[in-house]
Amino acid sequence: MEVLTVLVPYILRGLSVTLEVTGVALGFGLIFGAILAILRVYGGNLLSRILTLYTNILRALPHILLLLIIYFLIARIINLSAFWAGSLSLAIISSAYQAEIIRGAILSVPQGQMMAARSIGLTRIQAIWHVIIPQAFRHAIPPWSNEAAIVIKDSSLVYVLGVPEILRQAQYYSARTYQPFVAYITVAVIYFLLTFMTNRGLDALERRIRIPI
Amino acid sequence: MPRSSKEIVKIQDVHKAYGKEDVLKGISMEVTEGEVVILVGPSGTGKSTLLRCINQLTVPDSGHVWVNGIELTDPSTDIDKARQHIGMVFQDFNLFNHLSALDNVMLGLTQVLKMDVEKAREKAMHELDRVGLCNKFMNYPGQLSGGQKQRVAIARSLAMEPIVMLFDEPTSALDPELIGEVLVVMKDLALGGMTMICVTHEIGFARDVSTRIVFMEHGDIVEEGSPKKMLNHPDLQRTKQFLGKIRELH
Repeated sequence: MEVLTVLVPYILRGLSVTLEVTGVALGFGLIFGAILAILRVYGGNLLSRILTLYTNILRALPHILLLLIIYFLIARIINLSAFWAGSLSLAIISSAYQAEIIRGAILSVPQGQMMAARSIGLTRIQAIWHVIIPQAFRHAIPPWSNEAAIVIKDSSLVYVLGVPEILRQAQYYSARTYQPFVAYITVAVIYFLLTFMTNRGLDALERRIRIPI
Repeated sequence: MPRSSKEIVKIQDVHKAYGKEDVLKGISMEVTEGEVVILVGPSGTGKSTLLRCINQLTVPDSGHVWVNGIELTDPSTDIDKARQHIGMVFQDFNLFNHLSALDNVMLGLTQVLKMDVEKAREKAMHELDRVGLCNKFMNYPGQLSGGQKQRVAIARSLAMEPIVMLFDEPTSALDPELIGEVLVVMKDLALGGMTMICVTHEIGFARDVSTRIVFMEHGDIVEEGSPKKMLNHPDLQRTKQFLGKIRELH
């Protein structure tokens, strides 16, 4: 069983890279996305328009193309490793989608919540933090789990930059052994398990923080 | 009822338009300490807008508003600080959906007044007790009836020790059976000397506890006076017609 002893450890070496790329892309994407969303909802007309343009451009282009553009743009300005350049590119792309998710979640909180919060003397920022965000967060989980699954899969794109994540590892393996089928099936199983477990985890979180009725 | 002549709310020539539509066409009004003023009038005549112009949730286009001697329409006024002491109760309650009844009442105490948690909890329980709901303190808004929600909302405002309470159709979204429990709380407040401005069509409440009824239409005050006068022999035919309609319904 050469498959188990050689292939699996070989591909699993890429797993930590896949997880790190995904983590960076989702994490930074969440931070950027949340800031973008809050500024779009509460930041006034002009700012909102500029940011809308930004998210519209990012969402209109293929991810692989953006990855290459951003990578070569960043690499020209600062000296970043392929790992960081690729991960941050994915974070920027994801931020556009996450901004839309979070913006929708914020807008789904009834307006009266903000009014009531202001009426007892909370500042705008306090109201956003204590009243709007906790409710928006709950609304955002289901669409966000969708985005998480997409980013897990998109992490494979950094392979074009030579980052040794699981797909890249599988490609090396198949080139060396002429066994593409087992290699790619193994990677497919890993992606399936990652997205499946992530969605299960987020479902559990959603249930856990559900508001009792 | 102890009555002083201390002016709590003063509104001077307040205008507000939404787009082309003039909602308030220069309203002036004064409310002194302990007064219970009822605003009535057809829907869309600016009653709710006027209430919201008092605590600046809606900013008037022009005119001035003072509460407790502080001009809220002055841009240099710290409006968040001023709002702490102006209670507001909404038609659709607007309880914070993600917080229990207790936490709804506590939020302003801990975040705005910076009370420590133990003290805030004690105070919040006291306010819930005042509206007869201390046994529901753990319930979330989704677990309360409409009447209970509105009472929690009143407790949330009272906890901030307001100098004036604004009620924006507090019973309009309630099943008829649940209106009574909210009116009882409001009556208690009125009899306790709270200064109140209420948009409501609860004419029984107006007759029993109000000191003044103000009839508004098309963004103007048409007529105002004591409940006795307004309900029995108002000066204007239009007032008589409108209040007569409401009395038939209630």
